[in-house]
Amino acid sequence: MLNTIKPRGRVIFAYLFLPVALFVFTVFVPLVAALYYGFTDWKGGPVKNFSGLANYAQLFKDEVFWHSFGNNLYLVAACIIGQIGIAFILVMLINSKLVKLKSIHRTFGFFPSTISALCVGFVWKMIYDQRTGLINWFLVDVLHKYKGMKDAPIWLNGEALPIMLILSIPLIWQYIGYYMVIILSAFSSIDTSVLESAEIDGANGLQRALYIVFPLIKNTLFVCVTLCVAGNMKAFDSIYAMTEGGPGTSSMVMALYGYNQSFKSSNLGYGSTISVAIFVLSLAVIGGSQFLLNTYMTDDYDKEEKRIQRKREKEARAAMKKRMKGGRI
Amino acid sequence: MRLRKLLAVGLSLAMTLQLSACGSSAATSSEQTGEEAVATADETAESGSVPADDVEAPAPETSASELAYKGEINFMHYSTSEEAEGNGSSDGFRSCIAAWEEAHPDITLNQDILANVDYKTQIATKAAANDLPDVFLLQGMNTANWAKQGLVLDLTDVIASSPDASGYNMDLLVPFTSEGRYYALPAVSGGTCTVVIYDAALWKEAGFDSFPATWKEVEEASEYFNEQGMDTIAFGNAGQWQMNSCFLSCFGYQYTGTDWFNHIIAGDGQASFEDESFVKALENTRHLFADTKIFNSDFNAVTNEDAREYFISGDAAAFIGGNWDYSYIAETLKDDTEKIGNMKIAVLPEGDGATAYEKMQNNGFGYGLAINADVAGDKDKLDACIDLIEYLTGPSFAEYVGSKYGLGAFYKADFDTTGLNSWDIDLYNYSYVDNKAVAIYDSFLGGDVWNTLNPGLQDLTSGKTDAAALAGATQKAYTAFLAQ
Repeated sequence: MLNTIKPRGRVIFAYLFLPVALFVFTVFVPLVAALYYGFTDWKGGPVKNFSGLANYAQLFKDEVFWHSFGNNLYLVAACIIGQIGIAFILVMLINSKLVKLKSIHRTFGFFPSTISALCVGFVWKMIYDQRTGLINWFLVDVLHKYKGMKDAPIWLNGEALPIMLILSIPLIWQYIGYYMVIILSAFSSIDTSVLESAEIDGANGLQRALYIVFPLIKNTLFVCVTLCVAGNMKAFDSIYAMTEGGPGTSSMVMALYGYNQSFKSSNLGYGSTISVAIFVLSLAVIGGSQFLLNTYMTDDYDKEEKRIQRKREKEARAAMKKRMKGGRI
Repeated sequence: MRLRKLLAVGLSLAMTLQLSACGSSAATSSEQTGEEAVATADETAESGSVPADDVEAPAPETSASELAYKGEINFMHYSTSEEAEGNGSSDGFRSCIAAWEEAHPDITLNQDILANVDYKTQIATKAAANDLPDVFLLQGMNTANWAKQGLVLDLTDVIASSPDASGYNMDLLVPFTSEGRYYALPAVSGGTCTVVIYDAALWKEAGFDSFPATWKEVEEASEYFNEQGMDTIAFGNAGQWQMNSCFLSCFGYQYTGTDWFNHIIAGDGQASFEDESFVKALENTRHLFADTKIFNSDFNAVTNEDAREYFISGDAAAFIGGNWDYSYIAETLKDDTEKIGNMKIAVLPEGDGATAYEKMQNNGFGYGLAINADVAGDKDKLDACIDLIEYLTGPSFAEYVGSKYGLGAFYKADFDTTGLNSWDIDLYNYSYVDNKAVAIYDSFLGGDVWNTLNPGLQDLTSGKTDAAALAGATQKAYTAFLAQ
């Protein structure tokens, strides 16, 4: 009976061939190709000479690249605090009894993350503009902090605040809603009776957030952190729109530097080396962040719970084996 | 059962076929885009945004019967219809393309027209994939590399045997020369890259009958203008190339003299970016932008398009930019008779301690029309491509842009200046008669040299590096370029 339902190997192969081929062609081949090009002195065109590790040697000495890597880490840190931190606070606020029209807050909060990052970059470029921007208008005409727009800070020159902080604000603004939705869904899985009993016991909002909600949705927050790290290691669009890495190379990020090397300087070989480096460094940062979270954010309760879970799984496997041997199936 | 199996295999086969068909359908769609682009070009020509008011691009001399080729020519350039409005060379280029197309009904021009910024990236990508179109615009700085890779056709003999050869201004070929061979015919955007545009009435109020001859005087004037709450000179360098193309590439010669850059181009080891004269030019650039209050303080955060608006709106007493900025400003102000009457132009003033100062402006062609090396295999097609590029750079183009906009071209044509506006004549005299022409730095060498210097100029003028360090970094990139 089972054999008639189960399709033949060839049929399974025919069905699976397409998605696998697509995956190989769109993900695997470019990655391997970049790895190969990274070992050549490809300047564009058909000539590609193998240059061994020359590009990698150059990369290790390339100050601009490591400065860009530093900027990516800055973005990661700023966005973890800004995006996930503020999203967590907003979720707590939305779920408080005082807030009305919860679904409207949720929708409006999510809205910016549906806009293309490039557009967000252009919009914020206008907001930051020294002479016509919204921020300086507010500082000059409303708060009267400066005499005129020309005396107000040139935000995109990194004058009043560090340029990377200026560039991370639009990113934070854009993705708060995205993490808010993820955290909200985790929050809704918490049994309300737990929160209610804490309230009856006299726990205030802050205590409930820190000692009840946070531990219960910790795993979701870990996922958010990983997403945030991955997203910011490849940051490009909004920075390209706002400063193109300037002034000078002060706001350069790795992806933008790779793009410039490949297409502005026609160093496609070196550009490929940079993309391989982005891949490796991103994996390292993501892996590192997970290791840190797992080591320092896991308490005895979690360890005990994991131990019990492993034990249960082991027992279940043993029971299954026993039944199989018994020939009941 | 068998039926179902057959169906499964059949379905997956159909999907595979569909997928593999994607490749060919993509090709067809790109052809369509080409035709659409042609259609748009025709439309704009008819609707009157491109056309000559009184001057018409004369019909090509080669009659259609002389060209044996029947078929398509893929052609990529950056003269969009938006670009052609107010930009004389771009308008002339489009009009000549339309005229050539009309004269050759058997040949379909598949035009792929992109904005300049996108064009640079696209053409570099196509070169990397060895998939260049038949005819395209080659940027001076890519010549050496692409010629070496065998991507572009050697046009030396074509130029020598051209019917227009006697009229060609051979000096303009230098950016498109590699190892003594020519690879492109200078096209589209010729003209000066550095011009000071100022409002004579405002400068008169500041006590200057004409634009000051030295930067010292400009600095004095800036005190007056700052009191009025105005910027003295508007400049935009957010794109990082502007300070190189529209300032240093003219100002630098005041210190280095013209021979220095000739040696740099030749790579003969007799000139270096670390030479004292060039470092001095960088140091004085830094001084003018960072220490004085001559320029708008946000020059590194706004583009030339933003900065020229400061001048147009009267927030700045002068502006420094290229001929394209000049055409735009004139086009915008032309109905304001008082303002356009006060709009004058001047060369860059003399820098402090400039030993090689002359009245200079940097002029030349950043792009030239080149032919894909692969076309050489098809004799008829090659003849058609050569006919096209010779027409687009020859007498017809020169007369059109000369008599309508006062612009010079690769072909030195005598043209009628009676139909020109006074401001076009001013720019013509500025660019071709009154001042010495020097080469635009970034029409030469390779992108990696300028990709080091350009961001460095932003660092320099915002105090993050000094002139000697920037000169050292540029020289390092230049040495690497020469080593290739």
